[in-house]
Amino acid sequence: MAFEPNEEQKELKYDELRIYTDEELKNYTDEELKEFKCKHDIPALDELEKGPWPSFVADCKREALHRRNLADDRMMIERDVVEDMMGQLQISFDEGETHWKHGGIVGVFGYGGGVIGRYSDLQDRFPSIAHFHTMRINQPASKFYSSDYLRCVCDLWEYRGSGMMNMHGSTGDIICIGTFTEQLEPIFYELGHVLQQDLGGSGSNLRTPACCIGKARCEWSCIDTQDMCYELTHYYQDELHRPAFPYKFKFKFDGCPNGCVASIARSDMSFIGTWKDDIRIDQEAVQAYIGGEIAPNAGAHAGKDWGKFDINKEVINLCPTKCMWMEDGKLMIDNKECTRCMHCINVMPRALKPGIETGCSILFGAKAPILDGAQMSLLTIPFMECEPPYENIKEVVEKIWEWWPEEGKNRERLGELIQRQGVAKLLEVLEIPPMPQMVKEPRSNPYIFWKEEDVPGGWDRDINDYRSRHAR
Amino acid sequence: MEDIKETILAFAEKSKKSKFYFNDIQKAVQKVMPDAKARMIKKAATALINEEKLIYFSTGSSTMYGLKGRGQTEDH
Repeated sequence: MAFEPNEEQKELKYDELRIYTDEELKNYTDEELKEFKCKHDIPALDELEKGPWPSFVADCKREALHRRNLADDRMMIERDVVEDMMGQLQISFDEGETHWKHGGIVGVFGYGGGVIGRYSDLQDRFPSIAHFHTMRINQPASKFYSSDYLRCVCDLWEYRGSGMMNMHGSTGDIICIGTFTEQLEPIFYELGHVLQQDLGGSGSNLRTPACCIGKARCEWSCIDTQDMCYELTHYYQDELHRPAFPYKFKFKFDGCPNGCVASIARSDMSFIGTWKDDIRIDQEAVQAYIGGEIAPNAGAHAGKDWGKFDINKEVINLCPTKCMWMEDGKLMIDNKECTRCMHCINVMPRALKPGIETGCSILFGAKAPILDGAQMSLLTIPFMECEPPYENIKEVVEKIWEWWPEEGKNRERLGELIQRQGVAKLLEVLEIPPMPQMVKEPRSNPYIFWKEEDVPGGWDRDINDYRSRHAR
Repeated sequence: MEDIKETILAFAEKSKKSKFYFNDIQKAVQKVMPDAKARMIKKAATALINEEKLIYFSTGSSTMYGLKGRGQTEDH
């Protein structure tokens, strides 16, 4: 059964929930900002403001000035938390080493994730950042939120935290940076009971699932990514909040192979919308593109004259499987050769549309480590229907979760386990047959080993019978 | 489930390290009770967390368990 919330989701109204008045929110002038001087000497940070790009230092200074002008009883942690953070960062730049102590036992009751402990190791010099914990808030699907929602979250974090936030973390969460331990439970209470929000995942958990904008606004989306993301987030609450995996595990949902959340590059289990029938062609619109009546790429790149649209040069010759051609003035596609690269559809969106028999492809094993470079996920299930409550999808998820936690080493991602035990083992776990497309290159993967039960007659043979036919 | 909880606590007290991965708990329990399923062990560990006998220790990227009162159990 699909998830049903216990209580109705209320529409948040900032005017009813706000903590700060307009005067408090706009409590400094541009002149004051120009004159602002951090209480610590921060020449290296000042340098970062000089380039052409927006700098976090400029944002930090605004926040620091804002906190200076707030009344004492309008903040639950020290007012100069931002200034101390900048001061410590300057020392780290000078010395080339960090002064943060990372990790610890802090959290909220019953949750094993969502809070990441952080402490300064220069607490005597920077007492306002003695504790500097991070909280992750599970973002709404596709990051669709109202300004009322954002203002409520910002007010709460200004009042009980440093006011510094990161929109968003790589996994998608709203990251609130810097608060003290005693504020964690009150923030969690406010988030859960007043704003009806939840913490995201961290640690050896299912991480906060993320999805593209999906059917909400995109005509190409082959699956309802928001609904899938919502359903799986709720269905796997225990896995999201109570860590028992060998390491992190990520779901991401892309509505089509354009992959706007890059699930193929950064999730252990990637869901990518696709179709199994033919690309829909509107031949009249094809002619309109050729005739220049419709701008290609939906009018993108229109700032420069690229010349007349050339369907051969811009579409047909760029097809990676060469499965398109013109015949008697009509665009033809050999659909069985199509690899769903989306290029032709992207260039001529009014002429070409994904098919109508839609579902998702499931890929396994991506990860995006900072040092080693990304490992892409492996296309394992080419097509699966995606209808609520997604029982077929959950069945696949649970097969993986029977295997990986049992066989995975500590801190080993699913992709590494697949490399270590082989794709053949993955296919055995999923109970699906191998396909030629799974071969990345000969003898590296999947390198199938036959088992005795798969071979007629097993391993035993009559050597004399064999020698009667084959000379030594 | 009570016997799994007792086994976990016994492991947490005797373990050389004060923080351990869930895998280590699972192996320790399955050594004594080979039929214990991972799901049951997780439920028992979660119950011990809720009873405040075990604690989570998180580095942000991975999570370990510890016995409350053993090793680093205060704020920092």
